[in-house]
Amino acid sequence: MTFFTGNFFTRKMPRRMIVQMLIALPALSLFRNQPAVVDPDEIVEVNGWILKRSDLA
Amino acid sequence: MIFDSYEAFRAANFTAKVCILGSGPAGTTIARKLGAAGIPVVVLEAGSREFSDESQDFYRGTTVGDPYFDLDITRLRFMGGSSNHWAGWCRVLDSQDFEPKAWAPDTGWPISRADIDPYLPEVHDILELPDFRPDVPISDDIRWIQLIKSPAVRFGEKFADELDASRNIAVVLNTYATELAGDGKRVTGARLWSNGQDAGAFSADYFITCTGGLENSRLLLWSNQRSNGGVVPNATALGRYWMEHPTFEGGNAILADYGEFEVDADNEAFFSPTLAAMERLQIMNFGIRLIETPYPHVKRLIADLACTAPDMAEWMSSRLSQNLRCAAQLYVAWEQAPLASNQIELSKTDVDHAGVPRIELHWKKSELERRTLLEGLRLFGTTLAQKNLGRVRIADWIGNGGDYPTNEETAGHHHMGGTRMGTDVTRSVVDANCKVHGMDNLYVGGSSVFCTSGECNPTTTITALACRLGDHLGKVIAV
Ligand SMILES: Cc1cc2nc3c(=O)[nH]c(=O)nc-3n(C[C@H](O)[C@H](O)[C@H](O)COP(=O)(O)OP(=O)(O)OC[C@H]3O[C@@H](n4cnc5c(N)ncnc54)[C@H](O)[C@@H]3O)c2cc1C
Repeated sequence: MTFFTGNFFTRKMPRRMIVQMLIALPALSLFRNQPAVVDPDEIVEVNGWILKRSDLA
Repeated sequence: MIFDSYEAFRAANFTAKVCILGSGPAGTTIARKLGAAGIPVVVLEAGSREFSDESQDFYRGTTVGDPYFDLDITRLRFMGGSSNHWAGWCRVLDSQDFEPKAWAPDTGWPISRADIDPYLPEVHDILELPDFRPDVPISDDIRWIQLIKSPAVRFGEKFADELDASRNIAVVLNTYATELAGDGKRVTGARLWSNGQDAGAFSADYFITCTGGLENSRLLLWSNQRSNGGVVPNATALGRYWMEHPTFEGGNAILADYGEFEVDADNEAFFSPTLAAMERLQIMNFGIRLIETPYPHVKRLIADLACTAPDMAEWMSSRLSQNLRCAAQLYVAWEQAPLASNQIELSKTDVDHAGVPRIELHWKKSELERRTLLEGLRLFGTTLAQKNLGRVRIADWIGNGGDYPTNEETAGHHHMGGTRMGTDVTRSVVDANCKVHGMDNLYVGGSSVFCTSGECNPTTTITALACRLGDHLGKVIAV
């Protein structure tokens, strides 16, 4: 099987459905459990220490 | 002239226009100002030239509320007053300390810092101070300030020869003013106690009480009680709004480079908040004293940091091997919110040898102060971290809301308020010239007139206010 000949799913699925799936992909990725963007300079208080988040690395 | 007894003074037939009670920094400074203006002054001093247990006993009292020093330990009753054991730390209240704070009731003075600025050159001479450098902002929130340790001038020793040689000033030792008598307009005389007995009444045109930040309230409360309100006609605030500078070890800091802050001879540096930070967090003023820590303590601190931030700890320990002086203890002293409930009362059961009721001091730290302590350390820690100057660890009891430790100093021996300055006669005792509201000839010198305490030690401001009062009274008398 090569990249261009399609696999089991693409052969069985109507083209319209594949296009719909591709359109939906970015929206679905929002629901993926991605780590939040962290600011390394954010001030955090841990065990009484006033630290930068990057100190905890 | 200095007289060792009231009898010797009487025999000298010295006629005084002004009678000052107490020869501490306030009384001595006012006397020197008036003497220099050619006005005859008598300074009645309860103690002698030296410390004695017998004299100290008159200062005994009790405290209700938070633990405080014994009242006969926290001050000295002999010539020169508590300047005989003060540490000599000097700084004048900042201009922001005189301003009202919307978030803290009963703050704000009827005068501004500009009113005492003209007297600072004199104060520098008296306390033997070099010039202060301007504050250095290290962030929008924190200022690196300067406290200067003066040679801790002992007023009794330093000015004894000058006072003895003066033709206009008579200092009378061993002479305790037990009460003032008044008719609601004027003080008519002072009742004296000398040589273990009543020594009769003494009169002068003007009286200034300079008996210290606890004793001024006691003397006026007792005098007022005896003369049915004839000494302080508006007495609602008398004895109230008493303040100290609570002081506790607040934590530690590891500094990236200890040389970042130029420390003084005692390896200390001082920090305070900006007005904007106080306003944003709705807290009182505070001072953080950073003191270099001995080497073993540094290692312990870094070990503690390693549990939380191992990389940071590793970096710090590499710095440590290059520079052995990179950690510090942090002491915090803060401004108390002025509260009418913090007050000096007269004991109903206990009197001194002369029959004057002893002090019952009601003193409690407030929630606002507790917040000032925690938020103040957070501000300082945040500034150090953001500027990469170091890292702060706040003491557990502060972070956890635990009780104040009982094994520490607790406060600064700074007795402020009780006869505070103001325009509202229900919330103050003296006016902007330190004259008791409603009285023509009664003034108050010393930190009992402070409306708020700021964060710094009081004696520099006391001396400046004393110069100002001396100047003012000199002009009043000359008219
Ligand atoms: C241990 C200690 C350390 C200190 N360190 C500092 C510091 O580093 N920096 C700082 O700014 N401040 C410091 N202080 C505070 C400082 O000592 C006082 O602010 C200052 O002495 C107050 O001056 P005063 O003249 O108002 O009162 P006092 O010094 O208390 O003088 C009052 C005088 O009045 C006399 N007296 C009292 N009652 C009567 C009466 N009824 N009749 C006649 N005479 C009377 C007393 O004997 C005394 O001589 C310290 C205080 C202590 C105790």
